[in-house]
Amino acid sequence: MRREHQLSLLIRAATIVLLLVLWELAVRLGWIDKLFLAGPIEAALRLGPVASKVAPDIIATLVEFGSAFCIGVALAVTLGFAINQSPYVTAVFKPLLVLGVTVPKVTLLPLFLLWFGIDKTPIIVFGALSGFFPMVVNVMAASNEVKPNQLLLARAMGYGRLDILRKVTFPAMLPVLSSGMFYACNAAMMGVFIVELGIARQGLGVVVHGYAVTFRTPDLYAAVFLTASITVAINMALWYLARYFGRWRR
Amino acid sequence: MIETFKTRPALLRWTLLLATLVVWEAITRFASFNPIIVAPPSAVFQQAFLIALGDSTIPQFYANSAITIGEVVASYLITVVLGILIGLAFASSKLVCDAFEPLLLVLYAIPKIILYPLLILTLGIGVLPNIAFGVLLGVFVVIFNTSAGLRQIEPNYVRLAHSLGYGRRAIFFKVVIPAAAPTIVAGLRLGFGYTVIGVITAELLVVSVGLGSLIDYATVNYQTAQLYALVLITLAIGVAGNSLFSALERRWVK
Repeated sequence: MRREHQLSLLIRAATIVLLLVLWELAVRLGWIDKLFLAGPIEAALRLGPVASKVAPDIIATLVEFGSAFCIGVALAVTLGFAINQSPYVTAVFKPLLVLGVTVPKVTLLPLFLLWFGIDKTPIIVFGALSGFFPMVVNVMAASNEVKPNQLLLARAMGYGRLDILRKVTFPAMLPVLSSGMFYACNAAMMGVFIVELGIARQGLGVVVHGYAVTFRTPDLYAAVFLTASITVAINMALWYLARYFGRWRR
Repeated sequence: MIETFKTRPALLRWTLLLATLVVWEAITRFASFNPIIVAPPSAVFQQAFLIALGDSTIPQFYANSAITIGEVVASYLITVVLGILIGLAFASSKLVCDAFEPLLLVLYAIPKIILYPLLILTLGIGVLPNIAFGVLLGVFVVIFNTSAGLRQIEPNYVRLAHSLGYGRRAIFFKVVIPAAAPTIVAGLRLGFGYTVIGVITAELLVVSVGLGSLIDYATVNYQTAQLYALVLITLAIGVAGNSLFSALERRWVK
């Protein structure tokens, strides 16, 4: 068991190293033009300077993403719980909300430009909208996790409404809710970066866009790596949170 | 009257949608809204009709739609083949799974949109980055669902088939695949949705060809009714693709 684990670690490390070497070679030997692809070493060297230069943009993006995520999730939870109260209302709205997840909302982006301009508002609204739909669908799905028998039992034992909500309903819903947060986070980030790359004036997406269109390729790769690291850290935190809340099910 | 609504939630849903359209129309007609910002639904539907006839200010609607649909099809084919192959590899060997799943999870956690400028630089501007971006968005859910579906099979099924004298191949096709089908097909449906989102997003971010370029054309020329109509048409194409998949899913997976 232990040996197998080490072997898998070794394979993973070897693959990463191999890819990095191939990537560096592709640039060094001129397989791909330097203008379009920066080697990993060159990009890594630019990491420090770029990071210190774009610190305000990182903060701007984090603030925008944070507001978008919180607004989207809060709206989704409120609306989801309200809809859950009645099976009839669920039947009316569920197809529309499910559709909202799969529809390419990005087509609305030009309209957002018309409605909200190019400041922070379109970023937050679009990010919130992107996060809202996966979350609301998960809130509705989470209500299926509450077993009627458990509610009946709790009531028979003399629990009040609030106690039932706190001790039975909420813990049962928590695993699905937290995995919904993971998807909502991913979607909200996507939404924030789409607007930043497309029409905004400040933020990491704008920085990346700027480096790309001016062909400052090593800076571009450094900025993308920086952005990816931040987002992966946030996503992974939520991923482990979801696993933590879901652990009683296994 | 109320009874009919009570038994048929869909009726109320459509009524609400219709009511929204009526209110929207009334507001744009009677309140003095800037027509550049909000177009009335009647004008939007009229433009959608004209665009479909090829009789509007939007140039070459069908040629551009064909490009977009072609991109989606190509992107989805690559997504399916790549996703199922990688998913199979993950399910077939514990070692492969242990070695590469963490890498895949990290890649999945990156908002793919941030990689799009890199795709543009390496693949140029045109249909290639759009196709690649569609794959990037769609492939993960196909991989995860394929490998999860294959792994969560009841081991007793396989044991039973084995003791009944089935060979490896027969077990795979007669037991494993049917048992994993619902999860895999769900992955394929979700993957399709993401692929469409990917292709359209890519088209809108760096404008070259396709429906995205038409939407951009309508935006920069302040042809708001045409813009709404194009958005409506694009959404309709996405919805049509999705319902096709839901129908297939209901037929195949019981």
